[in-house]
Amino acid sequence: MAKQGRILGIGPTDNTSDQRTPRQPLRLIPDIARASFVPVVPARYATNPHEWDMTRTAPDRPRADGVPIEVTGRVRSASGRPVAGALLEVWSANHYGRYRHVEDHSGLQLDDNHLGMGRVLTDEEGRYRFWAISPGAYLARPDIGRWRPKHIHISVTGGSSRLITQMYFPDEPNNASDPMAILMGDAFERNIGRLRDPQTAEVKEAYDFDIVVGGRSATFFE
Amino acid sequence: MTDPASNLLPATNEDTCGPYFPIYFADPALEDLTRFAPGVVGAAEGTRIILRGRVLDRHGELANGAVLEFWQTNARGVYRTPATQGDAGIDPWFDGYGRLRTASGAYEFRTILPGAAPARAPNITITIFSDGISRIVTQVFFDGQAGNDADPVLQSVGNDAPKLIARHDGRTASGAEVYVFDIVMAGPGETPFFDDLES
Repeated sequence: MAKQGRILGIGPTDNTSDQRTPRQPLRLIPDIARASFVPVVPARYATNPHEWDMTRTAPDRPRADGVPIEVTGRVRSASGRPVAGALLEVWSANHYGRYRHVEDHSGLQLDDNHLGMGRVLTDEEGRYRFWAISPGAYLARPDIGRWRPKHIHISVTGGSSRLITQMYFPDEPNNASDPMAILMGDAFERNIGRLRDPQTAEVKEAYDFDIVVGGRSATFFE
Repeated sequence: MTDPASNLLPATNEDTCGPYFPIYFADPALEDLTRFAPGVVGAAEGTRIILRGRVLDRHGELANGAVLEFWQTNARGVYRTPATQGDAGIDPWFDGYGRLRTASGAYEFRTILPGAAPARAPNITITIFSDGISRIVTQVFFDGQAGNDADPVLQSVGNDAPKLIARHDGRTASGAEVYVFDIVMAGPGETPFFDDLES
């Protein structure tokens, strides 16, 4: 049987997923064209020096409400090579489950000390670190009572594929009913941060979240 | 479809970008590649184009809040990558990577017509992120380009090839040729998307 591309799953109980998920199997890319699908993003991105600390909006501002956490990890390719200089764009809801985004109409409480977005770069070993407020879960589908579990969005630019993922939290009651988590099946484990002891009193909780960027179009990155 | 005999690390799962990709991360320099950056003297070589269109869902409705990323060769058909560093065909004022977020689902991207890479017709890779789906990716081609008939990607989709070709809308706007390309995420007229993880 000829090899086929993946068929993307539709997130159960997610209307938007039903409306937007392609129904056809993904097409396989002819070998000669494969490398052309991987954007090489120019390294001219700047991150503001304070953006790694999302527990406050600026260094001279008070801490936002909620539990300050540290997230650290390594970004590697599937072959284990560190991805140096990768750009992580991070965003998450505040303690009350509200995004500081003009299109978040949930009406949940805003926090004047919380921006919830920041950018960091990986070092030569592919390591990254940021601080954030442990995000609130929020009711995503009031009609059926489905909550979105606590999560932090992470976009990774660099390496053999463009990756947008989410870090989830261990032992959260809403993890099991999340449409995307259901689609991931057993592999959902990979997207859960690993609780560890904080190494500073500045944060209350700390998580390791190692990221492996998939994709086989690794020509320029190995 | 992980190969059990492989030593490869299992990849982190892609996940939906959700509806709240921060507008804060927008960069005007990435929405218009005909100039290097606002206010900087220096312009990309080549024919200026505007690629515009709509991102549509299964019901033909605009898909709001999509993030589109673009990747293309310069006017001479050269990708700017580590492999082409120092290449004579590099345009110092053109990186080839763009990004925008569309609140409504309608988009407009200013760039130059890509040149033909070896064995390829001119094309732009488009990566789409939005609420409800993880990343999807395709390539758009341009109506009337000589190499279209022989392009391996266009050939690989067979009868669906016209769905990957932007049409010239017969106009120029601010000195740019206008091309129109709708991205149909699902349903009738669905755009062919490609599997760059398993291919």
